[in-house]
Amino acid sequence: MPVTVLIVDDSKLARIVAGKALAELQPEWSKIEASSAAQALEVISGQTPDVALIDFNMSEKDGLELAAELRVLLPDMPIAIITANIQDEIIARAREIGAAFVAKPVTPDALEPFLSGAALRLRSPRP
Amino acid sequence: MIPDSVALAELERDALTEIVNIGVSRAASSLRKMIGDQVLLSVPSIEVVSQRRAARLISEREVSDLVAVRQDFSGPFSGRALLIFPETNSLELVRAVTGDELSAEEVLEMEHEALAETGNVILNSCLATMANMLKRSLSMTIPEVLRGTGASLFEVDEDSAAEGLVLFLYIDFAVRSRDIRGYIAMIMDIPSLATLKELLEEFIARVVGDDA
Amino acid sequence: MIGADHIGSVLAAAGASGTWDWDIPADTLNVDAPFAELYGIAPEDAADGLPTGTFFKAIHPEDRARIRIAVAGILAGAELFSKEYRIVTPRGATLWMHARGRCHFDANEQPVRFTGLLVDVTERKRTEERLRVAQTAGGIGTFEYVDGYATAAVSEEFCRLLGLHPAPALPVQTINSVLDAAAAPLIPGPRGGAMPDGLDAEFQVVRKDDGALRWIARRGEIVREGAGYRLVGVIYDITTTKEQEAALRVLNETLETRVEQEVAIRRKTEEALRQAQKMEAVGQLTGGIAHDFNNLLMAIMSSLALLEKRLPADPNISRLIDNAMQGAQRGAALTQRMLAFARRQDLVPERIDIPELVFGMRDLVERTLGPAWSLDLEFPDRLPPVLADANQLEMALLNLAVNARDAMPDGGVIRITADQRNTVGGEAGELAAGEYIALCVIDTGVGMDEATLARAAEPFFTTKGVGKGTGLGLSMIHGLAKQLNGSFLLESTYGHGTVATLWLPVALDDEARVPLAAAPLAPESSTSRLKILAVDDDGLVLMNTVALLDDLGHEVLEASSGEQALTLIRAHPDIDVVITDQAMPRMTGTQLADLLTEERGEVPVILASGYGDVPPGAQQRIVRLGKPFNQAMLEKALGQAMGGAR
Repeated sequence: MPVTVLIVDDSKLARIVAGKALAELQPEWSKIEASSAAQALEVISGQTPDVALIDFNMSEKDGLELAAELRVLLPDMPIAIITANIQDEIIARAREIGAAFVAKPVTPDALEPFLSGAALRLRSPRP
Repeated sequence: MIPDSVALAELERDALTEIVNIGVSRAASSLRKMIGDQVLLSVPSIEVVSQRRAARLISEREVSDLVAVRQDFSGPFSGRALLIFPETNSLELVRAVTGDELSAEEVLEMEHEALAETGNVILNSCLATMANMLKRSLSMTIPEVLRGTGASLFEVDEDSAAEGLVLFLYIDFAVRSRDIRGYIAMIMDIPSLATLKELLEEFIARVVGDDA
Repeated sequence: MIGADHIGSVLAAAGASGTWDWDIPADTLNVDAPFAELYGIAPEDAADGLPTGTFFKAIHPEDRARIRIAVAGILAGAELFSKEYRIVTPRGATLWMHARGRCHFDANEQPVRFTGLLVDVTERKRTEERLRVAQTAGGIGTFEYVDGYATAAVSEEFCRLLGLHPAPALPVQTINSVLDAAAAPLIPGPRGGAMPDGLDAEFQVVRKDDGALRWIARRGEIVREGAGYRLVGVIYDITTTKEQEAALRVLNETLETRVEQEVAIRRKTEEALRQAQKMEAVGQLTGGIAHDFNNLLMAIMSSLALLEKRLPADPNISRLIDNAMQGAQRGAALTQRMLAFARRQDLVPERIDIPELVFGMRDLVERTLGPAWSLDLEFPDRLPPVLADANQLEMALLNLAVNARDAMPDGGVIRITADQRNTVGGEAGELAAGEYIALCVIDTGVGMDEATLARAAEPFFTTKGVGKGTGLGLSMIHGLAKQLNGSFLLESTYGHGTVATLWLPVALDDEARVPLAAAPLAPESSTSRLKILAVDDDGLVLMNTVALLDDLGHEVLEASSGEQALTLIRAHPDIDVVITDQAMPRMTGTQLADLLTEERGEVPVILASGYGDVPPGAQQRIVRLGKPFNQAMLEKALGQAMGGAR
């Protein structure tokens, strides 16, 4: 079953970069994109992603808020907050909602730990 | 005249320089990962000057129009950070960041995006690192791409407190292989400066301990 | 202790003073032997690792806080640790160290290892300090520029040299703004592109603080760094040198002007020389003309004389012949003057006391001038003598007096003065330095304007109108003066009068004193019939000479060349005297005389010459006969020649 990754970032470039890293690490996985929290929620109503990469610094609703909402909807989905804003507070907040933290720029190396972890989680049966 | 309350002692200057260094190193590292080429950084230059002079210090370095990514930050101290490119350079940066895979038209379409995202990564890395060092949180605005002159970028209002002092931070950077060059400039107003001074003292105490 | 593991070998290869490896979680500092030694730690104590704090203990108290901050920085994620600080050794010595380190992070981005190497840079620091002091003292400013940056790292002295506010870094634009916009920039850049060829150059700058115009020299190196480069250089003020160069240049330029002036002076001198040469050429021309004239006059005068002898005594005839003779004589006088001007006339220089001479001819002059004019003679009591030809000097004075009279048609006083004037060289028409007598004839007549004055001494130039003067007088005087190593000067103001000055060198003591009276001639011998050989290449003259000699009762043999003469002298051993012309083609008279002497020993020779010059090597015994000569002069010469011989 193909794995779908939701990439949420208001920057098209960031989405491209994340997509490239993803494609390099997991070529068979597919991606769906959203450019804002609102759009992301819309997209999800149509299709449930398996993994989510969410940018923190977005207008209106920031990435952490969206992640918290997704966590409620999809408690087991591997979520990573992707951001250049590597402040301790952000990292801590991400941990609190059970999301990983990947610092931008998203290179394959940076994404690898999270993705391999996510891949493992997806393969093992739900408890 | 710099008020005594905000004059930075030598050790504080060292500490601030170090913190900025770390932030910028991080930013440079991020930029390197985005571009894939060696990024050179100058030693940060830190001065307390008037706002008007700050604007002039920027325009002294460039004659042409500038394109910049601006991000304001607030928290225990507030200010504005700018990632500035001479306009003639910016497209090269876009090409570098988008990985040379896009067509010329796509590059032009992406220019605004690419600049914004690059600025986002660089400024955020830098500011976030600095915040972490000082053990405080800052909230940052979403980076904006602006075009204009040094004065307009710093928004020197002729009527308002143009005499207000700011901390002017300046770091040159260059990507030689691609002829990319620009600089990071940061300004912080005086009340913020006073807080920063306190935070620096805390930092020093933390790090240096009995050797202070 | 660090063993031969991957860290140690890499770091040790750099030849560093020592290395460290800080295990952060374990809070243990591992060091190698050199490091331990520097820190004064016994190797065995260091073997199992040291507490982290050890690293900071040896650091100089003033540097410790700074280094702590830096270490905190590297642990927090700064890429590179590169710091210089002082350590104090156990023996109390202070050393400068340069530490370079890297931090290694785990998966959670937590620092786990901080490793680095320590290099002793004490000597370098001292050198740098000495260099910095030297640079500041020597006014040398340093700069470093990474291509691509908008700023350059500079020293305080650099800023001071350009009048800029001292700062560790200056915008390239600011630095370059001390130059003119069109000039090459002091810091080339800021864009990459082509690397500059070299840094050695000179710039003219306007100092920012005081606006002073200075010359700055730049020297330095271009260090390649991968795709780009770094400029490392110095600047220093060379204004003084430049000013000296400029002064030298000005001097050179004025030198050119001065050279030009010199050239102008020389040109003037050449012009004067050319003028003199022109006069010389004219002289030669007149000399030549005079010579021919002389011959013609000779013919005329001789023939007239003989004609008078042979014609019946008729007053009408006599008057006609007299007129003709006068004309010829006037012509002779003219040629005399021409020849004098041409300096061919033989002058007889003798020591002359000028006042004596002038007083002696006073009557003659006053009678020549006329009653309306009088002479005022002013001479010092004692005046040194000059060396001059008395007759020529008298003629000159007479000439000048007549000119003075003509300038004052309504009568007046003509002053004649003489005084000693000593020169240092170059005055009064390029006189050599020495003692001179200046003989002046002064009138208060009409004077001459500049144009006339310039031409006054030119031969044939006259303002006196046709028939009233030959125009040769002044040029003759000029020639006379020159021949006596003196000078002739005319000063005149139109409407006020003229001063004619004859500069004559004072006679030197060792020259023989010859009284004014002419040297006694050899007693004339009786003119018994002689066999005479006459030699002249000019047929007409020869005919005349023969006629005159014949009329005197002598037997004459003719030769028209020196060769012919020699043939005749060999054929006729009884020839008593030879009279020969001087100027002949192929063989001159003197040459002939020498050959005759070889042939015939002391045969008397009379040399007839219109030219004044004494040919060098001419025998002393040769009798001179000036041309044109009349019968009386010829007879006299014969007497002299025969008298001397017998």
